[in-house]
Amino acid sequence: MKRYIAALSLLIVLLLGGMGAAALEQDSSQPRNDQKPPTTSNSREQTQEATGEEVFQANCSRCHLPPMSIPQRVTGTIIMHMRVRARLSRQDEQLLLKYMAP
Amino acid sequence: MTCRMPRLPILRLKSRCTLREIEAPEERVHEEMESDILSFVHQLRRLRFIVALALYLPGLVHAQDASDSEDHAGHVPVITGGMGYVHNVTGGVTTLGPQINPVLLVPFGSHVLLESRTDFTGVFQRENQTSGPFTGKVFKSVDYAQVDWLANSHVMVTAGKYLLPFGLYNERLVPVWIRNLQDSPIAAAIGTRTSGAGDGLMLRGVVAQKPAYSVQYTAYFSALSTINQLEAARTAGGDASIYLTHPRLEIGTSYQRFLQDREINNVAAYVSWQPAATPLDLKAEYDYTHTGNGYWLETAYRFDRLPIPPVLRRVQAVGRMQQFFALNGGGNALPRVNTQRFDFGLNYYFRDNWRLVSSYGRTFSSQQDANAWNAGVTYRFTLPLWPERKK
Repeated sequence: MKRYIAALSLLIVLLLGGMGAAALEQDSSQPRNDQKPPTTSNSREQTQEATGEEVFQANCSRCHLPPMSIPQRVTGTIIMHMRVRARLSRQDEQLLLKYMAP
Repeated sequence: MTCRMPRLPILRLKSRCTLREIEAPEERVHEEMESDILSFVHQLRRLRFIVALALYLPGLVHAQDASDSEDHAGHVPVITGGMGYVHNVTGGVTTLGPQINPVLLVPFGSHVLLESRTDFTGVFQRENQTSGPFTGKVFKSVDYAQVDWLANSHVMVTAGKYLLPFGLYNERLVPVWIRNLQDSPIAAAIGTRTSGAGDGLMLRGVVAQKPAYSVQYTAYFSALSTINQLEAARTAGGDASIYLTHPRLEIGTSYQRFLQDREINNVAAYVSWQPAATPLDLKAEYDYTHTGNGYWLETAYRFDRLPIPPVLRRVQAVGRMQQFFALNGGGNALPRVNTQRFDFGLNYYFRDNWRLVSSYGRTFSSQQDANAWNAGVTYRFTLPLWPERKK
């Protein structure tokens, strides 16, 4: 039992560490386009995006490191969850949606 | 048997009426034709209305959607959450702690959300604490299972089993992938009796929002429950906080009245500060209850803006100090004697959702001084439950 748990623990650590290292390698080799949604040429939208980014940085980083990327098809769901958890206003939710899924 | 002419002229040509039956007096023919034409026009109008409605409604919905949100965010169900493995040694006793906390999110439109978090935590220790084979078990619990109605900015209604909103820790910092230090603060047991969750109703939202600040509130009532996985105490309370936008400073307070056995008051006051100029995260909280009071102060600093090699910029240094003062003999998951503790940790972020965690802490009390070591890895996952639409 002892050997089994020790081996299992080692395996989990190696697995997670390996996946982390792979993620790190992928991260450093590829340009990190997913960190920021593409900017638009419209100045009004740029202003909105800046505001959305401010809301993003201010609210997400209160508790955790802001996520680099979230699949677009779940962005609305995640932000609904965070709106409840962080007590965000409807306005903040809309700005976050436009920023994270433009 | 009389021949019944179809009312629409075009169908009359295909009718089975004989020529004699069709050859009627001129007036009758005129009357019938007039009647048929009127009927045809009337039917056309009805048809036009139906066609127009069929074409207009999707347009109306689309226009409403477009005006409602100009983004491409999807609202599909998702399983997200955290998982990790933490190797802990406290006072010479080793504990192996794998855990996974999936959060299920199912939206119904953009105003109703069903959410639930389940916790699976394994606790494995040596049979004789410091010697012998590892034994243990996996504990399962439903942390919360609730339905949220996001009515508007001012009111969000939550029903079901929800996390008790007391102080900073219970609602926000418990997930394994969020907490900077893996051991909970001593005073985290205050205001979260008996299971950390309440069964009942909760209202929360934004009282006022201006460019310079926003004020948030939460109010709840929980009923006593002894049902398996839905355990909760009878409590009522609330939380209010103000967030100052420019300095990124949040100041808040929580109050709870424990309404069973011996009725007691629990109070918390907290501060959270993340200045924009530097990657610093500072959190502090003071908690008071009948059996003791205490505070914790935690600060975390990420190296990502330091002029050092990029590989080292992913490091985060964390420090926390805390003191607890027992009152009336302590108890209720709190120490029975005055206790002090400090922790120091180093975390390494592979990505925003992958990190290695490590920490050292030492507890000082009249009962026993003890060292606590933690090392492990945490991960946040997101699994959409609906395939992506093909474009």
